[in-house]
Amino acid sequence: MKEDIMSLNIILCIKSVVLDAPDGRVVRSPETTGLNPFDRPAIEMALRLREEMGGNITAISMGPESAAFALYEAMSMGVDRAILISDRDLAGSDTLATSRSLAAAIKTLSPFDLAIFGARSSDSDTGQVGPQTAVQLDLPFITGVYDIKAKDSEIILERGIDEFIESFRISLPAALAVHAVAVQPRDVRLSGIEKAFGIESLERINLKDLDIPKETVGDDGSPTKIVSLERVVRKKKCEFISGTVEEQADELVRRLKETGHIG
Amino acid sequence: MDLFLSEKHSIVRRSVRAFCERELKPIARELDIEARFPWEVVEKMGRLGYFGIQAPEALGGAAMDTTSYCIIIEEISRACAGLGLCVTVHNSVAVYPLYTFGSDEQKEKWVPPLARGEKIGAFCLTEPNIGSDASGVESTAVRDGDHYIVNANKVLITNGGVADTCLMFVKTDRNGGYKGLSVIVVERGTPGFEVGDLENLSGNRANPVSSIRLNDCRVPAGNLLGKEGMGMKIGLVALDTGRIGIGAQALGIAQAAMEEAIKYSKQRYQFGVPISQHEAVQMMIADMATQIDAARLLIYRAAAVKDKGRPFSTEAAMAKLFASETASKVADMAVQIHGGYGYSKSYPVERFYRDARVTRIYEGTSEIHRIVIARGVSEQYK
Repeated sequence: MKEDIMSLNIILCIKSVVLDAPDGRVVRSPETTGLNPFDRPAIEMALRLREEMGGNITAISMGPESAAFALYEAMSMGVDRAILISDRDLAGSDTLATSRSLAAAIKTLSPFDLAIFGARSSDSDTGQVGPQTAVQLDLPFITGVYDIKAKDSEIILERGIDEFIESFRISLPAALAVHAVAVQPRDVRLSGIEKAFGIESLERINLKDLDIPKETVGDDGSPTKIVSLERVVRKKKCEFISGTVEEQADELVRRLKETGHIG
Repeated sequence: MDLFLSEKHSIVRRSVRAFCERELKPIARELDIEARFPWEVVEKMGRLGYFGIQAPEALGGAAMDTTSYCIIIEEISRACAGLGLCVTVHNSVAVYPLYTFGSDEQKEKWVPPLARGEKIGAFCLTEPNIGSDASGVESTAVRDGDHYIVNANKVLITNGGVADTCLMFVKTDRNGGYKGLSVIVVERGTPGFEVGDLENLSGNRANPVSSIRLNDCRVPAGNLLGKEGMGMKIGLVALDTGRIGIGAQALGIAQAAMEEAIKYSKQRYQFGVPISQHEAVQMMIADMATQIDAARLLIYRAAAVKDKGRPFSTEAAMAKLFASETASKVADMAVQIHGGYGYSKSYPVERFYRDARVTRIYEGTSEIHRIVIARGVSEQYK
């Protein structure tokens, strides 16, 4: 634990996700991809922390060139610096391989205080990259963070579980994932967009800059493979319950209990 | 379409759309029915920079390009045409001429609060007897020492009910024709400044359109914008910019109308199939989409020409003319696709139909625009 927290160096790990696939085809462009919606609360929390404590925020993302768009969105919200990790050899990375690249990139940004992640990604939904990256970096890691408080040179993280709030006093550097509904992300200011697209605003690095073996990333470094992807077809059924209002209510309650929707 | 836009423009559209869909679209119907100006949304828009889109950064603006400006106006108008009108008129024919023709002192005094949306601007040209022919303005300003005594009767003023900073077109030389026309900035609260009742208009009802009267208003001579006699020039420069914005407003209305029509055509079944499968409906959807894309391209072209610093009057007039006529046609087809429901206030296309109509009238009628275009084009083929 730092004796005195003056300002925080924050690293934000964000993802560009597919938001729209017209005609069922994935074509990555600024119109079809964007910042992972679950990363927005993470960015908001980082921005509030910076406003309170001072410091700076660096957003990093691993992905193809189209992922730059998500970084520009993060910068438009107010992130200071953005780095895109892009390399042909990183293609096909699963969550573990992705976390290796992110961990390597984070190391190059040392010293830092906090590595912040979103809860999960809206397209692959695993929630694994944050914890895996923290393990690679040997950092304490808290999931589902609702609030970060800086008090008397300490950082207190609050984590929501059902009806309770767990508080953790953490030593820095640390990693955390922000709960999806922890904070309302701010709207983008027009001046923020202009600033994001200012000169030298986005940095690009590749595998060589990360100094990790090629075999540990990309397709080769990914122990998991997606075998197939099929659309789930949900069948909706409409049924009318007859009888008096009381009978209808009783029957409805009975069925909801039977299907486990109510206890 | 988006081949012509940069990543920055995509973020502009996405950000403004997200804001408008959350804050404005859900209340647009209520604003129309109650003819209410949504200050609560305007304040938020002000903080995000929507009231100083192209104003210089040093004056509190976002200093964006004209294409971004058009995207922002389109997106606001897609949610609520009356507020799109407010924002474009404020930015293009109030704030823009202030930072273009104002002295340093004037710019620093007026632009920052306008750019933050804390004050709203208005362009006061129209009078009971004056519309397209600006040279005939009857309002007057007579020099009296360090002041002007201004008497004016301005009608159908967009933002009139809420405007603080008004660009008043007055005659400083009563017999000078258009050369006697000047612009004097008059602020609400000046003794003699009187806002009339709000007009009970057909569309754009969230916008507080009203008359403004100045009765022997004593206005400091320092409020003269540019020089005496520059009124016509200021007006034309402002309106060229304003016309691109009104084109974008019309485009937003058309886009919203088409989206609603397509949505409805997939839900409405007749003769056993959704009406979107009826060829007659498909013809209309094809015409709507094609005309909207053409309008959008004309608007982006006018914006690009302006940003290159080249003359853009003809391009702006073409964009405004085509977009406004497209909005009327598209809204009409959207009503037709909705059938009887399209004539009901329960469906938004009824509102779009009313909102679209006036875009062919204000900031230069379609007829005036055809004259501007014909003159511009004839010049090129001397």
